[in-house]
Amino acid sequence: MRLHAKLCNHHRSCSRTYNYPAKKMNFLLDGFIQAFHLLIIGDAETYSAIWATLRISTYSIVCALITGIPIGFSLGYFNFKWKQPIRIIVDTLMALPTVFIGLLVYSFFTYRGPLGHMGLLFTVPGIAIGQTILALPIVIGLSATSVESLDQKLRIMIISMGANRRQLFFSTLWEARHGLLASAIAAYGRVLTEVGISMMVGGNIKWHTRTITTAIALETNKGQFEMGISLGLVLLIIAFCVNVSVSFLRRR
Amino acid sequence: MSYPIYEICSLKHTYVNRTVLFIDHLCIKKSSIIGLFGPNGSGKSTLLRILGLIEKPTEGKIFFNGYPVEPFSSKARFLVSLLPQEPFLMKRSVYNNVSYGLKLRGNVSDIPSRVKEALFTVGLSYDEYAQRPWYALSGGEMQRVALASRLTLKPQVLLLDEPTANVDAHSAQLIKETSLKARKTSGTTLIIASHDLQWLYEICDEVLHLFQGKILGSGQETFVYGPWQNMEAGKWGKYLSDGQIFYVTEPPHKDAIAVINALPITDNIVDGGEGDVDLHGTVYRLSLERISGQIFMTVLVGDLRMTMKLNPLKNNNPGWFPGKKICIRYRLEFLKWI
Amino acid sequence: MKRLLFTVICIALVVCIIPAGGMARNNQLMMATTTSTDNTGLLDYLIPKFIEKTGIELKWTATGTGKALKMGENCDVDILMVHAPASEKKFVNNGFGTDRREIMYNDFVIIGPAKDSAGIKGKSIKEALQLIKAKKGIFVSRGDNSGTHKKEISLWKSSNLPVPEKEKWYIQTGQGMLATINVATERNGYSMSDRGTYIKYEANMKGNPPLKILVEGDAVLLNQYSVIAINKKHCANARYDMARKFIEWITGKDAQIMIKDFKLLGKQLFTPNAK
Repeated sequence: MRLHAKLCNHHRSCSRTYNYPAKKMNFLLDGFIQAFHLLIIGDAETYSAIWATLRISTYSIVCALITGIPIGFSLGYFNFKWKQPIRIIVDTLMALPTVFIGLLVYSFFTYRGPLGHMGLLFTVPGIAIGQTILALPIVIGLSATSVESLDQKLRIMIISMGANRRQLFFSTLWEARHGLLASAIAAYGRVLTEVGISMMVGGNIKWHTRTITTAIALETNKGQFEMGISLGLVLLIIAFCVNVSVSFLRRR
Repeated sequence: MSYPIYEICSLKHTYVNRTVLFIDHLCIKKSSIIGLFGPNGSGKSTLLRILGLIEKPTEGKIFFNGYPVEPFSSKARFLVSLLPQEPFLMKRSVYNNVSYGLKLRGNVSDIPSRVKEALFTVGLSYDEYAQRPWYALSGGEMQRVALASRLTLKPQVLLLDEPTANVDAHSAQLIKETSLKARKTSGTTLIIASHDLQWLYEICDEVLHLFQGKILGSGQETFVYGPWQNMEAGKWGKYLSDGQIFYVTEPPHKDAIAVINALPITDNIVDGGEGDVDLHGTVYRLSLERISGQIFMTVLVGDLRMTMKLNPLKNNNPGWFPGKKICIRYRLEFLKWI
Repeated sequence: MKRLLFTVICIALVVCIIPAGGMARNNQLMMATTTSTDNTGLLDYLIPKFIEKTGIELKWTATGTGKALKMGENCDVDILMVHAPASEKKFVNNGFGTDRREIMYNDFVIIGPAKDSAGIKGKSIKEALQLIKAKKGIFVSRGDNSGTHKKEISLWKSSNLPVPEKEKWYIQTGQGMLATINVATERNGYSMSDRGTYIKYEANMKGNPPLKILVEGDAVLLNQYSVIAINKKHCANARYDMARKFIEWITGKDAQIMIKDFKLLGKQLFTPNAK
């Protein structure tokens, strides 16, 4: 055991610094304990994965919101010939599996692929681009829905106060803010927890593109379930913190 | 030459293949008070929305102060405001709702005082209500705030859709008073749709009756619904609840609606002619029409309410009062079918 | 409230923009290797020493053998470390890779429950597999076309047995080595694993694993690891010079000794054999 400790300084997989009964099925409870342990002692690998996860998900959600909300809002707001078919396409794209997106993005970023020269494979921006593709249909679809579910009386009120077309558009946008926020939260949850894209496009490279979710996949694959569970709980804690801070925006 | 504030020409409006509004020509004078009366589905709300420049009619033109206008026209944008039937506010505080229109115009100066003034006119205290969020108001308070937000803009035309429905009595009272005050102080033209015919007749210069999208007459007519029966001797009619028969000419179809012009029989006229129908009834209501000075009377005949206008000078004060039993007469040849 | 919104957005943007550095691939070397290699922990132990010595930032991604070779062919990596000699030779022949050097080996072992109901302990590979088939003992396979899986299939063939597929006693997990061993543990069955992963499994089980090594030492069970540099003629972007540095380093005396010294539970996982 001592030789063990010598070789493993910061290696998460070796940091069994406590004793626990070797019961097979107890990995839930062990996972809990270990989750807090990792966070408190500042395990470098865990924090690297946390940082990667946060960076990538923030990149992607910001891009998805900046492009998606105007598109989604306009899709719900205006009436035009192709509105219904486009809606159907967007709703279908919401169900894209992450591995499929990962595969598509990989085939673009691979050196032999069309965007190979940009050197985005195995990088954080590369994963973020893939996750943006994942989040975009969700943001667009739910934003469009939130606009369409606004009361018709709103339009009458705003026009009767003398708004022109531009003012009507932006006032409606502001009135729809709760629905738009909900779409952002839904998209963020999806992006924070996906594995397929991070794995395929990122390569799960330690210290660089290993996110919490790919780390969970790795640990589970290695048969180390407790670690998988504890990382999962870490992710949950992060999601919780993000949602708490967002809830201040949600307050009517 | 001063233009009427509104002029409508050949207006036709359809919803999903159904014509809901059909007005050949209508002029509304500046600073007048016009009432719109009619059953549900007669097109009152649609007409208000079109006059309020919220919707564009399928066919026809509207002129505002002589200019052709449509929704978002610059010539009418800040001058026309519609208050819809159901209370509705934007998702913001009362203050922000009331000041919304002012901010749209870029009128940023002295907004707080104007908001205070507007809330005062609808009977809401600034300190108590200004910061309340939109969900913390009763229906009546909401409608009052909505009215305040429109009044603060001092529009040239204020359109009210059933202003007293959906609100409590106190709010209804305040809304009525405030609207009239606006007209008094600023010369605002009021166009009001309501079920309350008596109130309309009290305050309006003219009451337009709408039926199935058309403007019919101005208050003297009675609408009588079928179904009609073929009485003996080739006559048509229907039985009233008190056993009297309401005679009509042959209806174009079973459910056609008859429109008659009834008048009470005074002592001068005794015998009716061939085409006259006399019925017994009880005086139900008398009120004074403001501008013309004419008397507006409702008489109950069986289950029918017949409305008629009387010129007090002509009738020489025959001493009618609510509850008095009288005779009324109408001519079959003037009966119209719709 | 608008102020709060503004602050949140600013923080988000700052988080995004900051670590834009590190995007340039100037001093970086990208390696593809297999999950079994990575899971032993050898690379976590070895590579930092290379980085320290040469200053070249070596990053590696671990996937299945097939995908690693494909990534090499696609020019997404600069160097490969795999253990599938037949496929490797084909890879080099096709012109995708050059400078193939053998670096270390370990062996495959057949593991199974101590009870050993099929009675294969100590037998030769041929006999062991035949016994397992005859007694219908549960056998858990990788089933994922990895180097290990291909090795296992070759063992069935060389034992003159049809390669099992749908038999009830043959379980194909389609997963990595450790996961497969875990399934075998749950099902009390046999499996074929590389020794390195087995020792890791032993360490995970605190030296008392339910499955023991039953068959070993057969010559046909050799598992040879090699490194291959991606051919610059095939991939213009391949960092051939740096790849060569790594190859020279890992076949050099110091690295070879480090490989020998890598132990889990006091047991050596790999035997260096660079020439």
